[in-house]
Amino acid sequence: MTPLYELNNIEHRRGNCTVLQIDRLELQSGRLYALTGANGAGKSTLLQLLALLERPTSGELQIDGRALPLQDRHLCRLRRDITLVHQSAFLLSGTVAVNLAFGLKLRGLNRRERERRTLWALQTVGLADFAERRVNQLSGGEVQRVALARALALNPRVLLLDEPTAGLDGDSALAFERLLTSLRDQGLSMIMASHDPALVQRLEADEIHLVGGRILGHPRSFSESNRLTAAGSPLCLNPLKMQER
Amino acid sequence: MSFLGESFSTAVALLLALDSEVLATVWTSLWVSLGAILISTVAAVPLGGVIALRGFCGKRLVLTLLNTLMALPTVVVGLLVYGLLSRQGPLGVYGLLFTPWAMMIGQVVLAVPIVVHYTVAAVAGADPRILPTARTLGAGPVRSVLQLLLEVRFGIVAAVVAGFGRVIGEVGVAMMLGGNIRGTTRTMTTAIALETSKGEFAFALALGIVLMAVALLVNLFLNLLQQR
Repeated sequence: MTPLYELNNIEHRRGNCTVLQIDRLELQSGRLYALTGANGAGKSTLLQLLALLERPTSGELQIDGRALPLQDRHLCRLRRDITLVHQSAFLLSGTVAVNLAFGLKLRGLNRRERERRTLWALQTVGLADFAERRVNQLSGGEVQRVALARALALNPRVLLLDEPTAGLDGDSALAFERLLTSLRDQGLSMIMASHDPALVQRLEADEIHLVGGRILGHPRSFSESNRLTAAGSPLCLNPLKMQER
Repeated sequence: MSFLGESFSTAVALLLALDSEVLATVWTSLWVSLGAILISTVAAVPLGGVIALRGFCGKRLVLTLLNTLMALPTVVVGLLVYGLLSRQGPLGVYGLLFTPWAMMIGQVVLAVPIVVHYTVAAVAGADPRILPTARTLGAGPVRSVLQLLLEVRFGIVAAVVAGFGRVIGEVGVAMMLGGNIRGTTRTMTTAIALETSKGEFAFALALGIVLMAVALLVNLFLNLLQQR
């Protein structure tokens, strides 16, 4: 089966600094992956590349077995299937409905369809009555949920999430987690960066651990991680430490 | 004191009577300056956006140059544009000197650095998440930048208003390029200078009141924007 993403010999530099170096990585569709690692490990950079917001400095990034198009307008078209929800999401000024309509208008959907999708997406994140609410009246948790609704309304093939529950209080984080579980169960391809090993475990995500811009070991499937935990060994997020044992 | 009081009463009477000469002078000032700021906005806002968003060699020099141009004396601008538009100048064949168009060109030169400078400040101070957010939602490069400009619209309107404030109140360009011709190129500022020297203090004061009212409106508008 052709992988959703295939990365070969990817190197990404910022100035003179190499921030990401991946020899090979395959990501399958319909799965939930978790990028783990310390701050500066390259999780957000990898998400930026997967969201096609940046091109890798060198190496090959394939989507559905095809290399990235050279022309920006073709890349832009491809990007419409992938949506990234940033760690600290930015909402456009105006109302919640304006935010949800933005991407839908760009896709040429008519008003009726836009309204239908907006309502559905807001219901999905539990904010059905928020369409006319101004974004500056929202709490931090509500902002994250609106950002997720904005992404979901676009019906993306791939949903990328950068630290989706960071900065949320207990109840909001729990609601968000339930939502991600439900999306995972529906078979949506999701890749999220997370600091929280417990969240990764609860979401039954396949783990990709990054250290200093490199992937350590192989991506570990949830069942693999679970076996380790069940055998009495604490879930070790750092494969280097695991090897030491 | 009675001189000032009497002049003020006469000025108010002129305004209330909608004196045709006062109205003609105010109208010339307004349309020339509004035209100049419109042209400046069309040129300067995209230019400011490009300067703010693009990293290029010599960017710091360009910004320093902009700051310098902002403080350029109006008579120097008048002098330079006069050189271009005079009969011996490269644009002399168009016969623009001492027409409202010459004043408009001079005012554009005055306003562009101001509008560019404040646009650069507004765009550079914009939330860095705007562009990636727009792009991840499916916007192309042009639509993303348009969205960014929309998000910083109050800063851009403030830039335009600041540019308008500069050109409506300037006297050097209007005097040197317009020539203060009655009914054609006489603006509020040049008329104030001329009428005062002729001893027509009340007439000059009437125009001064209008000019101050315009400045007040511009400032009220800016304050309103800052509160949003």
